[in-house]
Amino acid sequence: MKQKIIIISAIILLFTLVAFMAKDFFFSKPDNTNPYAFDLNNIRTADTAKAVYTETQQIKTTLEEIHGIATDNSGKIYISGKDGIEVFDPSGKSSSKLKIAGIAQSISVSGNGDIFLGMQDHIEIWNTSGKQASKWASFGPDAVITSIAVKGNDVFIADAGQKVVYRCDLKGNLINKIGLKDPATGVPGFIIPSPYFDLGISKDGNLWVVNPGRHSFEKYTFDGALITTWNKASMSMEGFCGCCNPSNFAFLNDSLFVTSEKAVERVKIYNTDGTFLSIVATPDQFEAGTKGLDLAVDKKSRILVLDPVKMLIRIFEPKK
Amino acid sequence: MQNRRDFLNLLCRGTILTGLAATTGVLAFRSVKGGNCELGTSCNNCKKSDSCDLPEAALFRQTVWQLDPTKCIQCGRCAENCVMSPSAVKVTHVYAMCGYCDLCGGYLKPDTKNISTAAENQLCPTSAIKRKFVEDPFYQYTIDEPLCIGCAKCVKGCGAFGNGSLQLQVRHDRCVNCNECSIARNCPSEAFSRVPANKPYLLQGIENKNGAGKIG
Repeated sequence: MKQKIIIISAIILLFTLVAFMAKDFFFSKPDNTNPYAFDLNNIRTADTAKAVYTETQQIKTTLEEIHGIATDNSGKIYISGKDGIEVFDPSGKSSSKLKIAGIAQSISVSGNGDIFLGMQDHIEIWNTSGKQASKWASFGPDAVITSIAVKGNDVFIADAGQKVVYRCDLKGNLINKIGLKDPATGVPGFIIPSPYFDLGISKDGNLWVVNPGRHSFEKYTFDGALITTWNKASMSMEGFCGCCNPSNFAFLNDSLFVTSEKAVERVKIYNTDGTFLSIVATPDQFEAGTKGLDLAVDKKSRILVLDPVKMLIRIFEPKK
Repeated sequence: MQNRRDFLNLLCRGTILTGLAATTGVLAFRSVKGGNCELGTSCNNCKKSDSCDLPEAALFRQTVWQLDPTKCIQCGRCAENCVMSPSAVKVTHVYAMCGYCDLCGGYLKPDTKNISTAAENQLCPTSAIKRKFVEDPFYQYTIDEPLCIGCAKCVKGCGAFGNGSLQLQVRHDRCVNCNECSIARNCPSEAFSRVPANKPYLLQGIENKNGAGKIG
């Protein structure tokens, strides 16, 4: 009897063992996970729910390429690109299209309605009827004009190629250069690894320039004296990522900074002192690899994002 | 026909031309089939290419494996699939392309809070990248090659956030030039190919007189 129990137990044990082996042999799946895989998608999808703005409108353009966006005092939207400028009324309806020769990388509209275009190495001024009012001399063969701002009789031009900001009068005469490295005055010099170099004029009448290689904003007087800086270098949402960001910015309500970045495409809002405030648009709202998300803010404080990959003006407003 | 001499002359010319045409045809046919090889397969897929006496095989043996950075998707498989341990694939730094960034996407983890050399901030699992201050705000990044395992994390980070100056390459001081490269067999983007041994590197962003990349 005792021997019978041992035999039965041994058989059960044997069957159990065979069953485990069979399961392992036939049903277990090989572990194909790659321990060295580096997934960047979580950066692109993170914080989507934290955006406090929502996209309310998209405006299509008929230009072949789009590079710059600006608004005027009446709320009209201007975009510049290859061989043309397109003007939209505040509702998004195309009101006119001006033909130009070449690529206008940047655009700004003065108080009297003149359209200033940054054309690689020089500035062209056009009026709304489609006539060229003037064409300035070249800033040199290495010039890459990426941004323009007009304030009264002063025109500020960001030259990414020569890493300097020019202050000119309305006729194109150079008044002074801003931002050249000068340890004596504490000007650090612009670090511009890629051709994204933006500037703007704040309500208090000072010039703000992005120093992308330092992930910083620098505030200058019109004479070129450095007043203050703030920087936020970080891969996280609170900072500016990559080698050189932000690529573009605009002022919101005269005091806040709306910024856009490349590498991780996102649009955010910062306080005047650099405190991160909120998210406007998250990376998953853009095609991966989108660069040059130029920004503008209209009279209604709507944030206008120029999307050169989707060929759209995308309008963002606070969530209700 | 004017005379016998003209007839013989014509006959000789015809014979020579026919012979030339036939030889050209045979050579062309053989080259399409795979040269003198009776199997008609390319050496790349032939298991006998290591010992084969045919001139095509000799020429094949003068080539080496290399990885094309433009096709590489930085999947990390080079670290695990090479017969060498650590892998013969290692990262190479093309300094001409580097932005010498403080916030380096190839050096720092994306979620890092502080920009420092602390181990928890480094993207490289073996700390094979060394960071050195050059001048404000520039930092130089060098590869400690014995530590590099070819996992491509830094390559992916550099490409996503920077200029793509970090690139994977098969290092020929380590590669044993297997007939059938086990990494190439497992490469999902088919980035591996045989390249001439006298131009063994395929780095992007630098040029030299020979058209061959130099290891930096």
